[in-house]
Amino acid sequence: MNDTDTDLALNLLRQVLTKFTDIKPEQVVPEAELAALEVDSLSLAEMLFELEDRVGVRLSEPREPPKTVAEILALIEPHLDLIRAKADA
Amino acid sequence: MVYDGRARRVVITGLGQVTPHGRDVAAAYSALVDGQSTLALRTVGDGAHTAQLVSAICGELDAPALLGRARAVTMDRVSHLSAVAALDAWADAGLNREGALSPDAREDVCVMWGCGGGGQQTQERACRDLFLRGRTRISPLTVVQSMLNAAAGHIAMMLGLGGACLTYSVACASSAVAIAEALRRVRAGECDVALAGGGEAALPYATVMAWQSMQVLAVADAAGAPAACRPFDAGRRGLVLGEGAAALVLEERDHALARGAHIYAELAGAGASCDHTHLTAPDAHGQWRAMHAALRDAGALPQDLQYVNAHGTATAEGDPVECEALRRLLGDAAPRVAVSATKSLHGHLMGAAGAVEALITVMAVHTGHVPPTANLDQVDAACGGLDHVVRQGRRGMGVALALSNSFAFGGSNQVLVFRRDNPA
Repeated sequence: MNDTDTDLALNLLRQVLTKFTDIKPEQVVPEAELAALEVDSLSLAEMLFELEDRVGVRLSEPREPPKTVAEILALIEPHLDLIRAKADA
Repeated sequence: MVYDGRARRVVITGLGQVTPHGRDVAAAYSALVDGQSTLALRTVGDGAHTAQLVSAICGELDAPALLGRARAVTMDRVSHLSAVAALDAWADAGLNREGALSPDAREDVCVMWGCGGGGQQTQERACRDLFLRGRTRISPLTVVQSMLNAAAGHIAMMLGLGGACLTYSVACASSAVAIAEALRRVRAGECDVALAGGGEAALPYATVMAWQSMQVLAVADAAGAPAACRPFDAGRRGLVLGEGAAALVLEERDHALARGAHIYAELAGAGASCDHTHLTAPDAHGQWRAMHAALRDAGALPQDLQYVNAHGTATAEGDPVECEALRRLLGDAAPRVAVSATKSLHGHLMGAAGAVEALITVMAVHTGHVPPTANLDQVDAACGGLDHVVRQGRRGMGVALALSNSFAFGGSNQVLVFRRDNPA
């Protein structure tokens, strides 16, 4: 991902994470651990569901549940075109 | 905790509520005694699927602020209402203070909760997504938000309570049963403190339609809505659905005294019965047996009662049966024991009704003020022979012993007895 792509995906993730937790958007950085952002297995499942809703596709299911923001970004990465199209719409 | 075999008395040391009358227990009780109705004509559902009904709902509740956003987003509304009521009761009892309970004692505290329908708003949203929106997937939280014991689990987690955590679903007696079961556990020495109560938020479109099909709901226009529920009145037209939650902290009396806790009242006894006659038609003998058993458990006599918080739903069938049971229980004392049905003011909170009305009965004992049955203009002949508290509440009456009745579909009856605390 280039910087613009990262910003696009991060912004989307920030919108979703702040809907589900009391954290501030600036805390959502790639290296942040989800546990430190008040995300547990239940809220993670709901959050991924919301992300899928917003992107409009089913995200691939990783072998291990994501533990960091970067690992969620990696799930979104294959769908950047869709996110970009929605952002431009 | 050492159980030495003596009878353990159980007192109420904390109260919390989220009801149509609000979260402030004292202010809500005062409004109730003043006869302030919370009933209004409202619309439920959305899109093409809406229904109008007279109902009693709770005001805006900022669940993310009160419970934390990360937890709140994983909960149905019934869990929001329940958890806030429970946390308020716990704080009211002073149990959130540092050192109020040892870590070991906390591991014993049980949570006994009542709920009739569980997370019904979650279930309806899932059905709408599947059947109306044509989605093939629904929220992964659907199960854990809608399961009946979600509220109890959240309460135990939030407060770190490690005793039995159980949910009773006994229709309209659910949370009265939960309180009675908590009483047993504290008496038995299983714990010194129990958190008991119940919640309900069962007003999604499909549930409302189901109730409307039963033809037991009071119907009124916007102007008539506040007075739509008329228990014991000759012109009663049915019940009014409501939502909310209430919680009581039950505590072994010596434990409460040792930590200097404020005691609202003693939970002196409980009695349960089953009509075993019909799934919905109530039975006076079954109700009498529950009231009789409750008084016997409390070591009290019917003539010692000053107040009965009746089940009183304002249905054509139910009210005369309860009055018949009360006349039989009270005998010669019937004209001297104040009776009121507060559902006329806060609606029928279903699985939460028993807890809300238990809290009201505790407040009657605590304050000595008794709330009225609103809209009781002309007592139905079949509901006579009792001292109905009409129009205005009675302030300064003094209540040493009171009953709270909860009678459920399924024929399950649960009665609670509250007594003014005294050292004897």
